[in-house]
Amino acid sequence: MHSFDQVFTQYQDIVTTGVYGSAIGLIIIGLYAVLLKKNLTKIVIGLSIIDAGIHLLFVAIGYIQGGTAPIFSPGHEGEIQKMVDPVPQALVLTAIVIGFAVTAVALSLVIRLYKHHNTSNIDQIKSLKW
Amino acid sequence: MVISPVHYIAVPLLAAFTMPLIAKVSKELARVIPGLVMMYLSFVSVVLMQQVIQSGPISEVIAGWQAPWGINLMFTPFSGFLATLMSFMGLLIWLYSFNFKKVDFSQSLKYQTLQMMMVTGATGIVLTGDIFNLFVFLEITAITAYSLTAFYRERDGAEAAFKYLLIGSFASVFVLLAIMLLYTQLGTLNMAEIAQKIQAGELSGTMKTTIFALFLIGFGIEAEMFPLNAWAPDAYSQAPGPIGAAFASIVVKAGVYALIRITFTLFDIQGAHMYLIIAGLVTMVIAEVSAVAQTNLKRMLAYSSIGQMGFVLIAFGIGTKEAVFGAIFLMFNHAIIKGLLFMTGSYLTFNDTNKQISSLRGFGKKLPLVSLLFAIGAFAIVGLPPFSGFWSKLYVLTAAGSKEMIMLILIILGVSVVEIIYYFRVVGKLYFSKEENDIEVQKPSINAMIPMVILGLVIVAVGIYPDLVTGFFERATDMLLDKAHYIEVVLTQNVVN
Repeated sequence: MHSFDQVFTQYQDIVTTGVYGSAIGLIIIGLYAVLLKKNLTKIVIGLSIIDAGIHLLFVAIGYIQGGTAPIFSPGHEGEIQKMVDPVPQALVLTAIVIGFAVTAVALSLVIRLYKHHNTSNIDQIKSLKW
Repeated sequence: MVISPVHYIAVPLLAAFTMPLIAKVSKELARVIPGLVMMYLSFVSVVLMQQVIQSGPISEVIAGWQAPWGINLMFTPFSGFLATLMSFMGLLIWLYSFNFKKVDFSQSLKYQTLQMMMVTGATGIVLTGDIFNLFVFLEITAITAYSLTAFYRERDGAEAAFKYLLIGSFASVFVLLAIMLLYTQLGTLNMAEIAQKIQAGELSGTMKTTIFALFLIGFGIEAEMFPLNAWAPDAYSQAPGPIGAAFASIVVKAGVYALIRITFTLFDIQGAHMYLIIAGLVTMVIAEVSAVAQTNLKRMLAYSSIGQMGFVLIAFGIGTKEAVFGAIFLMFNHAIIKGLLFMTGSYLTFNDTNKQISSLRGFGKKLPLVSLLFAIGAFAIVGLPPFSGFWSKLYVLTAAGSKEMIMLILIILGVSVVEIIYYFRVVGKLYFSKEENDIEVQKPSINAMIPMVILGLVIVAVGIYPDLVTGFFERATDMLLDKAHYIEVVLTQNVVN
């Protein structure tokens, strides 16, 4: 009979592996979309998925099992060791905003391209050499 | 008010956000603001440069958090020199494009705001002492550059911009991954502390190579390094004329700066310098050979720009003091000369939508001053005396000579011949083509003429009397090569405020 703590730790391991795994999975899915899809919108979605994967990976790195929020509050003074690292979270927040801006610009370019060429298939947009 | 490096970022950002409001009051005033900002920043540059030369590099702490924890801005002779160059070029490009889209006001406001933010982003890359902050500025520069590339609706700007955006997004993914790995390994984002910890051997060999490679790919895209430069010719040729000038003289400089900071200050990898030489050589040779095949003037200038950046990488790669000096001189020269070439080039091909070189027949008579300035720029960039390009090429070649890299010298000279061929072809079309065509010429307005003449005069003045600027380059070289001093300045200072 496992104690609750043991079960909990095992469960945590699975979660951690799952987080890393899904982060890498997201990056691969995104790469697939960007490199192989022909539709401009799908390519932009792919870029966003890659971004999401990287952000997830970044947050996962700063996470500690059973960690607490990095805030000094009464009654939790002795828990500095268990605090999660706030820096990756701050960085990811910034990266999300940047990703948002890039996606917005990309989508507006897609609209412009669609109006100009009347198609969103990347193979048919060839005024310039690719 | 105390002048500090933080003004480079705070003032343009404030101006960018207030410009739409001011435009509601006075449309003319809104167009003047970027110029005022650039004038102020040029003034700040001059003051700070003097301060730096007298009392050493400035490390400005932001928001009172001391260096390894907070973000700091570094105004060293090297980064300060680039920030100064960018501010002045920003001012000239603003003046050049002051009347741009004058009739269509909302377009002009967008253009002016984006252009100012692009300069700000590039200056931020150069000044920041924090690796993640550098990423943020890289993205500011990139996003504004995408939008400006797509500025003209009637050209294929959107296509060029989308291509740029795809490549740029990959760059940012690589840089972000590199920063992430670096943070997990070292637990810091401050460049000085990273450098210190890497020097102390806290990073394993494989990790170091991996992170370095990721950074190299990420920044290599902005620095137009082969094979990551496919975006450049399209973006240069589809973007509005002044933006081509800004790409060549401001944005690319920031990319090269990031590469150099990573190679020289952060990582000390054996063979990294050799890699820079090889990457630079491949970039230079392929770009210069492609330039010959171009019939579009702007594409030709873009390929030439890529080639010059390859040359800069070679010079940094040689790595001796003399070579680094030459490389910094080259960066300065490329900024002013390519700026001038793009400015004059856009007037020469003003009414030709395809920007064909063959349409330039007889323009030497139609637009005498612009053609003369273009010719000066062309002579300067191939490195003929008495123009400024001659000296930088000479310094790099002697540096290569003292390291006995004979093959390298031969290749550089061979490429110079190629450069001469395609630039002289254009100059020949301007002056020695009998048959004239009936393309309407666009006479440059006085505000466009002033920056072109200034750049032309600077090229000749520096060419005849290089001591005007070499003092700054020497200090910049010393600072760049003195890693210990950089670390010391950042990590031992106390918070003043």
